[in-house]
Amino acid sequence: MSPVGPLLLATFLFCAGVYGIIARRNAVLVLLSVELMLNAVNINLVTFQNLIFPDDPAVTGQMFALFIIGVAAAEVGVGLAIVFNMFRNRASVDVDDADLMRW
Amino acid sequence: MDVLLDYAWVVVALPLLSSALITAFGKRLPGKGSELGIASLAISWLLAVGIAWETFVNSPIEPVERAIDWSPLGGGFVLELGILVDGLTAVMMLLVTTVSFMVHVYSREYMHGEVRFTYFFAMLSLFTFSMLLLVVSNNLLQAVIGWELVGLCSYLLIGFYWEDKSNQDAGNKAFMTTKFGDVGLIVGVIVLSAGMFSMTDTPFNILEINEAAAAGQLGTTTVVLGMLLIFLGCISKSGQMPLHVWLPDAMAGPTPVSALIHAATMVTAGVFLLARLFPVVAQSQAVMTTIAIFGVITLFFGGLLALVQDDLKKILAYSTISQLGYMVAAIGVGGYTASIFHLFTHGFFKALLFLAAGSLIHAVHTNNISEMGGLARAMPHTFWTFIVGSLALAGFPLTAGFFSKDEILIAGDIWADAGFFTGSLVYWIGLAAAFVTTFYMARACFLIFAGEHRGHHTPHESGKLILAPLMVLAVLSVASGYLLSPFSPEQPNFETWTATPILDAEASYPFVLEAEASALGVIGDGVQASGPVLAAEKEGPVKVLHGVPTWHPDLLAMVLVLFSAAVFLAYRFYGKGLPEKDPTLSMGRFTDILVAKYGFDDFGYRYIVVPVRDKLSAAASYSSNVLIDGVVAGVGRATKNVATTTYRVVDQQMIDGGINGAAFSAAWWSEKLKRIQSGDVQKYAGVLVAGTIVLVLAFAAVR
Repeated sequence: MSPVGPLLLATFLFCAGVYGIIARRNAVLVLLSVELMLNAVNINLVTFQNLIFPDDPAVTGQMFALFIIGVAAAEVGVGLAIVFNMFRNRASVDVDDADLMRW
Repeated sequence: MDVLLDYAWVVVALPLLSSALITAFGKRLPGKGSELGIASLAISWLLAVGIAWETFVNSPIEPVERAIDWSPLGGGFVLELGILVDGLTAVMMLLVTTVSFMVHVYSREYMHGEVRFTYFFAMLSLFTFSMLLLVVSNNLLQAVIGWELVGLCSYLLIGFYWEDKSNQDAGNKAFMTTKFGDVGLIVGVIVLSAGMFSMTDTPFNILEINEAAAAGQLGTTTVVLGMLLIFLGCISKSGQMPLHVWLPDAMAGPTPVSALIHAATMVTAGVFLLARLFPVVAQSQAVMTTIAIFGVITLFFGGLLALVQDDLKKILAYSTISQLGYMVAAIGVGGYTASIFHLFTHGFFKALLFLAAGSLIHAVHTNNISEMGGLARAMPHTFWTFIVGSLALAGFPLTAGFFSKDEILIAGDIWADAGFFTGSLVYWIGLAAAFVTTFYMARACFLIFAGEHRGHHTPHESGKLILAPLMVLAVLSVASGYLLSPFSPEQPNFETWTATPILDAEASYPFVLEAEASALGVIGDGVQASGPVLAAEKEGPVKVLHGVPTWHPDLLAMVLVLFSAAVFLAYRFYGKGLPEKDPTLSMGRFTDILVAKYGFDDFGYRYIVVPVRDKLSAAASYSSNVLIDGVVAGVGRATKNVATTTYRVVDQQMIDGGINGAAFSAAWWSEKLKRIQSGDVQKYAGVLVAGTIVLVLAFAAVR
């Protein structure tokens, strides 16, 4: 199977994630973009496992992808909690408003 | 008894102690401090008598020298503080303490009720200390210290009545004139010592200098230059012409001071120093001739000045100058013993005359003999003591002055026989001056004691404390002469007393030996060795010590004739009181010259005092106030300007500018840089991505 398709997909997803993080103002959507980037990485891990170590009985790449999915779920939990709290305090989820750590 | 000589320093120290105590506590004591001075002088005097006796009966003795090193300067030579006791020291100590003791006693009554009575006694004691320090010193530097101290005391006591401007001026004149000679003295001492440096590490030691000189180890230049400079000090201190001008003016001081300082002791310091260094003096004919000529000029012309004086103290002052001339001239003609002997006897009879004059002045409240007269009946004791002093001064036979003055004349005669013209000068001019001396003393005596009283006060005899010293000194004025007279034994007499081992009976003058040897045709290396032998075949070389004097009938006859003539002349003129026209004041041009004091004072005033005061002082003041102060102020101002500029430019602008600039630039940059921390997470992320891309591209390119 040619790796080109999955790699192109992963590239698209990653770039979309980056764009989302930089460009979107809504904090929920920024979190969502992070998820996109994580999933691009997952696709890469699975693709390169099959491309470089097709006979690895431990299927390390897939296993790693599973861990990332788990961690990402936890991360979304934490991230959404932060967003909720921010909304409670400021009545807004715009990341531009969250600039307390400036000069 | 020998141990007494070791304690000679006590004689010196006691007056210093009493001076300090009088200054500190004198005013609180019942006697206002006079009892301290009299007591300490009495002890000093007793010790001095003991020392004199000890040195006299055992004479000639080896000098006793005790010294401690005192080198505050360090360096390659040792300064000493010490005493040198021999016959000469003992004679001087005896003279100084005796006269000082008498003057202390006398002053207690004479100065009674005066202002600054306590101060007066403190100064008297301080002077006595200084003079004793000078006479006992074993080295020339210490002698110079004593010399300067007596000069200071003299200055302070001449100006004792300082409320009067003329007294201040007299003090200044004395101080400046003697100071002029002191410069010569100090340079001379240094010259002599410079010649000693290579031989010893105590170059100022008097005994060593004398020994080196006697052994011919000092160069001719050292001896001549050193002694002439030291003699300059003697000229000023011992009132030799032309630096005698201060001495008559010094009579502005209280009369006891005149007796102690300006007649008996301080003014003899110069003669004493010449005697002390006589072995050095004896090395050079040039030095001896110079000394003799100055002495002869002084003894004659100084005496003449007394003829026209009306002030009794000034008559005595000029006679002191004249007698000091005799002493100096005696040194110059090899009359070492004669000079000291005259110094010794003169100290007693001149102190007596001054103290008697003080008694007279006390009684009639004037110094002028023209306002006295007829005092013989009113003041019998003062009368006879004054007459004894006058006879001694005039050299009347069998008084002390006769023996000592004739010693000088005989020394001149011996010197003349050895072929030196100064000897004849001293002999004949000395005789002529004796006539002058007799005449002016007879004039003074007749005007004071004979005839009717011309003053307004009723004269009265002085008290016991004034008369007692007069009587003691009157006895000494006669008795002291018999220490060296035809009646004296071979040993001890005054000559063996003051003789030092260097001046033993065989010593002679090197230039005399050479002259006699060359006269006999001996030339070359044999001169020194064969000189005495060859000379002895003739008459023998002239000795330093002349032996016990014998009677000289010719001299005695001349002295008696001159004395009688002078007294007769004075009686003709003044025997019946003050004549209408005083003969000494009616000698036309001669009187004018004498009244003008040969113009020395005028000359000194016009060509020294005025230029110094108006030109040199002004120039000195200008150089001090304008030049030196200008430079100092200029330096100050320049420093201030440099400091101000430095402050403004370097400190305020450069250093502060740098520090402030650093601070300001940090603030400016931080203002700019803080914008980076915007707090916008997305911006950070964008920069992060851009950075990653740049890094990836960079790695790719490098690969």
